[in-house]
Amino acid sequence: MPESKRQPVIETRGLRKVFRDFWRRPTVEAVKGLDLTVNDGEVFGLLGPNGSGKSTTIKMLLGLLRPSAGVVRVLDAAPDDTRAKARIGYLPEVSHLHPFLTPRETLMYYASLFGMPRKEAVRRTHELLVMVDLEHAADRAVGGFSKGMARRVGLAQALVNAPGLLILDEPTSGLDPIGSREVKDLVCALAQGGVTVLMTSHLLADVEDVCDRVAILERGVLRAEGKIAELLRQPDAVRFEVEGLDEPDAAAVRAELEARTGRRVRQEYPAMSLERYFLQVVARDGQQRAFAMAPFLGAAPADTNS
Amino acid sequence: MTNDAQNGIAASARRIGGVAVLAVRAALRTRTVGALLALLAVCVLVLPGAVKGDGTPEGELHILLTYTLGFAFGILCLATLWAACALFAAEIDSARMQLSAVKPVRAAEFWAGKWLALLALNAAALLAVYTGVYAQVRWRMHRDGWETVEQPVSRYVAHPLLPSPREEARETLDELRARNELPKGYSERTILRALEEKAPEKYTEIPPGRQQAWRFRLSRPLRAGEAVTVRLRFETEYNTRAQVTGICRLGCVETARAVEVPLDDFTLKEIEFAVDARAFGQAPDAGLRTFELSFEHTGDAKHAPGLLLRFRKDVALLTPGGSFWMNLLRAAAVHGSVLALLAAFGLTLSICFSLPVAAFVATVLLVLTMVGNSVVQVVSEEDAKKWSNRAGMLVSRTVHGATRHALKAEPLAALTNGERLEADMLRASLVWNALLLPLLLAAAGCAVLRRRELADAE
Ligand SMILES: Nc1ncnc2c1ncn2[C@@H]1O[C@H](COP(=O)(O)OP(=O)(O)OP(=O)(O)O)[C@@H](O)[C@H]1O
Ligand SMILES: [Mg+2]
Repeated sequence: MPESKRQPVIETRGLRKVFRDFWRRPTVEAVKGLDLTVNDGEVFGLLGPNGSGKSTTIKMLLGLLRPSAGVVRVLDAAPDDTRAKARIGYLPEVSHLHPFLTPRETLMYYASLFGMPRKEAVRRTHELLVMVDLEHAADRAVGGFSKGMARRVGLAQALVNAPGLLILDEPTSGLDPIGSREVKDLVCALAQGGVTVLMTSHLLADVEDVCDRVAILERGVLRAEGKIAELLRQPDAVRFEVEGLDEPDAAAVRAELEARTGRRVRQEYPAMSLERYFLQVVARDGQQRAFAMAPFLGAAPADTNS
Repeated sequence: MTNDAQNGIAASARRIGGVAVLAVRAALRTRTVGALLALLAVCVLVLPGAVKGDGTPEGELHILLTYTLGFAFGILCLATLWAACALFAAEIDSARMQLSAVKPVRAAEFWAGKWLALLALNAAALLAVYTGVYAQVRWRMHRDGWETVEQPVSRYVAHPLLPSPREEARETLDELRARNELPKGYSERTILRALEEKAPEKYTEIPPGRQQAWRFRLSRPLRAGEAVTVRLRFETEYNTRAQVTGICRLGCVETARAVEVPLDDFTLKEIEFAVDARAFGQAPDAGLRTFELSFEHTGDAKHAPGLLLRFRKDVALLTPGGSFWMNLLRAAAVHGSVLALLAAFGLTLSICFSLPVAAFVATVLLVLTMVGNSVVQVVSEEDAKKWSNRAGMLVSRTVHGATRHALKAEPLAALTNGERLEADMLRASLVWNALLLPLLLAAAGCAVLRRRELADAE
């Protein structure tokens, strides 16, 4: 789809949030006049250091916080519109699960909040538990779960309604490298299925791997915004990578290049990234399970009144 | 109805059900419910055996109906109120509400789900308590072989036909004005209100040699084969009360026949005697409805003290009103409705405040409600002149006024006195406590929930 014809799914204009104390005195201005547009089908990354206002922005998009000024439209509706909510999936920074529920009960509970019929809810719950690899712990209370396990329940919960818009606040926090790899693959797969994703992170590598477009916030102000490829291109540098070149050949190629261009050529022996090494060592089943979620792609939104 | 609307209602029902199931699970998986059940079990199983009665069936019944049911209901009241206060507040304070709030659930659906969960839990608890009491009464009846007259009953109560408290207050006011005896410094409205409030509590003296008559109209006619019971309660001088004697005459207006009963034992503060319907002659098909009761103080004018009676409360005709067990069921329904109101009240508070604040406010208001009724009657206008007293009066009067209708039915008093809880009382209790007031509270709670920033509390 050409860029210009894409529908905006999230739009904010002049968004501000001032937190106040008990006596209504302003304590901090967390978001300062933010203009943001996330288009249909995009994977959008919101970056920024701690306390830059990422979570605050997301909570305003979801109607959990009221903007002090500015306009928010999500899925062409105000943030507290239930029709829009029916098509949104949200994973908060901290999962905030009910500790006395099991993952199965948790997912059934959230499915019921979407008004999903019981049969459908049971089926989807099962599929999601398989997807996040928690079948073996499906009937233990989540209160005793490790951070990463709880995170997986949170993620499954965000997908219960097969959302058209997925909002993930630091989705990879607390996950092991395999888990984060899976989440990233999942995000890519969802995006291919047409889901719009807004995610925040301060793990730049994560964002770089999956996002089409990013915005960088600092102390509530938008510092940069654009396509990752464009933001990161270094127009005056070129890099070649050749496998299986021995020392003398490499030296010869380098000499040739330097002679031709009259510039210094840097030669490197790139190491495998630690992430790739870890994945090779700990690879489970040698498979990328995240793609097991194919059945969710393109499923109709769950709420019967939409 | 269109398909869309039907689907919408079904989805809404599923959301409410989901919220309710969560709340029930939350309750059942904490230790508090276990503790609560243990307390209730003590009330029902241990308390009746532990409290020493006077050994009569009447005394045992009194313990079961007043102490056991009273304590159990009190425990349930507090438990319901505090649980309701926790339901929203704890979820909001722990940020768990954020995950639910971003789902397409309306504020009213959250409220209704949690309220229904509390109703279900309370219904189960009440069922257990009342079944326990029922079994205890049955068991004692069986074990001790209670006589028919000792067994618990349920009777219609008829009070004398008298001018309404308001009319009576007006009359008294007019009299006082005519005699120029109006208390100084009060508006007539204040005096009128005080008189009206005190009318049901006003004692009238019947001195020796004087006769007093009352007319009654039964809500349900007396039929052949039934008996009508006359109940007189009174206050009198302790030392000289042995001197009191009297004659009671109960006449039926329809058949123009009367029965005279001489009374000479005024040592207890209550006299009850029954008259068979046959004594009034052949009853018409419609039964007997209108009666006239008179009491003549025949004691010695020099030595016998007068009798003091509150006409609206102390003089009554009682006629058979179904089985005691049905009355027990009605009492349970009234208690259930009051718990439904408390649940609604707690839920709305729990939306507005954090858990400790909500629980504190709820408890204070509960205590005010309990003392409010008595304060309104006890505090005299003289006391109410001081500003601090006046502020207290204002608060208790407001609370009393707001809760008067909701708490009008007194199921425990009715059960112990063997009085049938009348249908209109039951209906009023259910409609006010389990429907109208909760709706009002729900509307207020939902309005706040919609405006509240749920992510603020972190
Ligand atoms: N409920 C709140 N009350 C008061 N101040 C808040 C509240 N929530 C956030 N803030 C403040 O707003 C600013 C932005 O916080 P926010 O959580 O949005 O940052 P963030 O970008 O998500 O940071 P992180 O990367 O640590 O998650 C911070 O200064 C924070 O202290
Ligand atoms: Mg954050």
